[in-house]
Order: sequence, then structure tokens, then C-alpha cells
Amino acid sequence: MTAVKAAGRYLSVAVVLSVAVLPTFWVLINSVKTLPELVSPVPTFWPHTFTLQHYTDLFTQIPFVTYFRNSMVVALVVTAITLVLSSLAAYSLYRCRYPGRQWLFEAFMSSYIFPRVLLLIPLYVAFTRLRIIDTLTALVIVYVTTIAPFSIWMLHAFFTEVPLELEDAAMVDGAGRFQVLAKIFLPLTATGLTALGLYAFLMSWTEYFFALTFIISDPHKTLPLGMAQFLQEYSIDWGLLMSSSVVIAIPPIILFAVAGRWFIKGLTAGAIR
Amino acid sequence: MIPSREAHAPGRAPGRDFRERLGRASALIQKDPYFGYLLVLPLVVWTLLTVVYPLLDAMRLSLLNVGYVGAAGKFVGLANYAKILTSSTFWHTAELTVLWTVLNVALQVGGGLIAALVLNQDYWGKEFARTWIILPWLLPSIVLATMAKWMLDPTLGVVNYLLLRAGVLHAPVSFLGRPALAFVSASVVNAWHWFPLFALMILAALQTIPGEVSEAAEVDGANYWQRLVYVELPSIGQVLYVITFISSLWAANIFDVIWLLTRGGPADATNTFPVLIYYRAFQEFRISEASTISLALFVMLLLYGVWYMRRFMREGIAEGGS
Repeated sequence: MTAVKAAGRYLSVAVVLSVAVLPTFWVLINSVKTLPELVSPVPTFWPHTFTLQHYTDLFTQIPFVTYFRNSMVVALVVTAITLVLSSLAAYSLYRCRYPGRQWLFEAFMSSYIFPRVLLLIPLYVAFTRLRIIDTLTALVIVYVTTIAPFSIWMLHAFFTEVPLELEDAAMVDGAGRFQVLAKIFLPLTATGLTALGLYAFLMSWTEYFFALTFIISDPHKTLPLGMAQFLQEYSIDWGLLMSSSVVIAIPPIILFAVAGRWFIKGLTAGAIR
Repeated sequence: MIPSREAHAPGRAPGRDFRERLGRASALIQKDPYFGYLLVLPLVVWTLLTVVYPLLDAMRLSLLNVGYVGAAGKFVGLANYAKILTSSTFWHTAELTVLWTVLNVALQVGGGLIAALVLNQDYWGKEFARTWIILPWLLPSIVLATMAKWMLDPTLGVVNYLLLRAGVLHAPVSFLGRPALAFVSASVVNAWHWFPLFALMILAALQTIPGEVSEAAEVDGANYWQRLVYVELPSIGQVLYVITFISSLWAANIFDVIWLLTRGGPADATNTFPVLIYYRAFQEFRISEASTISLALFVMLLLYGVWYMRRFMREGIAEGGS
């Protein structure tokens, strides 16, 4: 009976995990097949042929390096700005006392209800007037905006668990509040800031909607935008799409392998408190 | 307070007074109301410029008849509102968006709940499974769309191949080419992206249930389903309410997967609000009309949000500080 139960347990876990990861492996497997095998109507579940052609094509056939660099620049700059703005704001909201604090917190959180698409048109108009349409700057601005509310939510778990006495003690010793913040508080919440960095990077790296609207010329396209044009073509180059899908997924996976558990902590502590 | 000139003691170094004032200002700024305001100020300014200003500008645009960006518009009063509220497309889209949201929430929260219950068991490799369940959520929407188009393709797709082999189908099906099927397919693809996030949130809630409670119920002879219905689900009820809310707001705003897979088609079957608004503004160049629709969407989400929070969520989500 217990053996049956154990088998059922492992089977259920295997099914759930397969649903989550198998499609990704299917892409990985197909990315190393030669083109005839790749587009054969009878799929092969293990490659009979092996080639890295689709990966080398990324560098010779399309401006993949440009797209990749644009995405990386945007994601890194957004991450840096988000870390500064959100950690300062979260410190203020969770650790300082002043009238209007609760109201401000609710105002930030209410932007959940705010549809992204409502920002699209007015920002497009404004960016056109400011002559930053079709630049990476436009993307950086709007990404920071969309990422900020959730960042503050995520930092809650990390910022509220630092004992208040630690800060008080440092101030008794004569440290100013800026010093306490920079030298004591933020280092203590490094895991939370890492989790936030992961989130900000991931959101910028994967974003498509605003990029589609704000970016027009090829040299300014980010990776999702660059890839999308191959998906829309009449005759789709599946080899290129498979290999670029694998490559675009690598940075998020590496980041999650490093900082994933802190991200999960920030995510779940927000939901269950 | 600015000290008067008379207060200057003779013979004082000229820089001293300034430095003193600077010192006092810096001491003051590190006291609480000011320090708190100072730190939150950058994000407040950022939000005013990139959220509040666009909201006001969308209102302005909705009262004009601007076509493409940069065109001068004439004031038309509430004509755009009258136009959209009497158009059948608007109401059809509203219906589709509700349907899309309901189906996606059901799949995401339902799938997340099942996955969480499964992962919450005791087995070897727990840490691994509970971490890498996240994989679909890490993938960009463009990868989801690539995968879905590839796997659902009528001639090359593995899904058709397997269903034909298993005898479920007798002829290949164009999953993205038929209205109802395309709607369901896009929903499944989108739900696949989001369910891990909700699974992890529910899993965390399940883990806060003390082991003894479940064990006591088991000793009392409660079977698995009884424990689920009477012990586990009630203890995570509040989390399910929060997750359902977040999931519905996110689902109503989905653009990427729909646009990349079907562009709102076939026959407008997947033409939810974000797709309609994008299309009106940037394919048909009816900026004012699109702004009006996006404001209508905002009002509908706002009403829904207020109703939902009053109805289902307990007070004090914002327990900041302490």
C-alpha cells in the first residue's frame, strides 16, 4: 500500500514537472537538428542528426549581436535605476514614520489596476515630442515605471525583518541616517536587493509590448522584438527561432539558478502575509 | 528660519554661518517626516511623470480627434465616448476580455493549485522540483509564441502528430486557425506561462499550515479529499483570493501572446482590449479613439478592483513598518 502511495506521489510530481519543463527541452532538442529533420512531418524525439548550424547562423544571418547587446544594456540600466529608486522608496515606506505613508503605499500598489496599455499612447506622444522615440532610453523609462510597484511589494519581506534596534544602536553611536542606510541597512538586505535585481532584469529582458511600439529601426531593436519579426514572416525560419529561443532563455535561467530562492522568498512572503 | 543680519557676531569667519546652517539643515533632513519624504521623493516624481501625466494626457486626447501621432486634433467633446459606447466592436471586445480573463484565471489558479498540492508532498528532490517549476515563467513571451506556433503547427507540430498517432484526431487540426480553438489555445499558452508563479505562492501558503493539523485530521480518519476540503483549502483561502485578483488583473492586460500568435484573429476571436487598443492606435492611426478605449478599460478595471477588494480581501494588506 505504501509502495503504491509512493509511486503515485512520484508519478504526480513527474507529471507536473514535465508539464513545466518538457516544452523547453523540446525546443533545445530541435535547435540542434539539421533543417530537413527539423521540418520533417514525423518528429524525432531524439536528434538523429546533430548540428550547431542554427547557432552559428545567429551570428552570420541576422544582427543577433546587436539585438542581444541592446537587450542587455536596457536590462542592466533598468535594474540599476530600479534598485536605487525602489530601495529608497521601500525604506521610506517600511521604516520611516510620517503622515501620508500608508496613503503613498496604497497609491503605489494601486498601479496594479492601472492598465499598461493606458500608458502606451500618451508616452508614445510624449517620447515623440522629446525626440526619444526609437531609442533605448524610451524603453528604460517605461520599464522602470512598470517594475516599480511590484519591487516595493517584494522588498517588504526583507526590509521589515531587520530589527529596528540595529539602526537605533548605530545612531546612538553617532552615525547619520544616510550612513545607517548605506552601511548597515542595505548590506543586511542584500538578498532582497538581489531578488529585486533578478526581477527587474527579467522583466526588461523579456518585454515585448512597449518595445514593439517604441522601437522602429533595426539597430535599436531588443532581442524579443528582433526575434518576433522572424516569427511573422511568411516562410518561418524555424532553425533560427529555435536557437535564438535557447540563447534568450539562458540569462534568466542562470540568474534564477543563482538568486532564485531569494526571489521566491520575496514573492511568496508578499502573498501570504 | 533665516537669521537676521544683526545676529551676526562681529569677527566671525564668513563661511561659518553657512556651514552652521548647512549642518542644521542636514540634521533636520535626517529627522523623520523629512527623511521619509526625501527617500520616497524620487519614485514619486518618476511616477507622477510616467503614470499620472500619461493618465491626464490620455484624458485630453480622448476629447480630441487626433489620428496619427503628431497630427493636430480638434476638440470634439465626448464624441469619442459616444462612438465607442455605441459600437458593437467595443462590447464584443468587452465580452471577449471577460471570457479571456475568466478562462485564464481558472487555468492559472487551478493549475497553480494542483501543482502546489502535488509539490507540497514529501518526496526526494523537493528543493529541485519546487525551484524549477518556475521555468515557464522565466521564458520571454516571444519564446512562448515560438514554441506554441511550432508545436501546434498543422503539418510540423508535435501536438497534431501525437493526437493523430493516439487516434484522438483523424485529420490535422489548425489550432490557431479556427476562432474558438485559437482562443482556447492562446489561453492555455498564456496560462502555462503564469501558473508556476501562482503555484509557488500557494505552495508557500500550504507550508504555513502546521503539520499537526493535517495529521490530527488524518488520525481522526479523514481521507485525502476531506483533508483538502476541510483543512487545507480553508487555511489558504485568503491567499487564493489575493492570487485570483492579481491573476485576473494581469490576464486582462495580456497583449504579447495574443498578438504574436493570432494578432487578435481569426475573425476577431482573440481581440481583447489591449490588442484592440494597440491596433486602433498604431495600425489604424486613430489615436484619440484608442485613448478613449484605454480609459474605458481603466474605469472598468478600477470598478472591478474596488468591488473585489471590498468583497473578498481583508483590511491591512499594507502592514508596512513595525
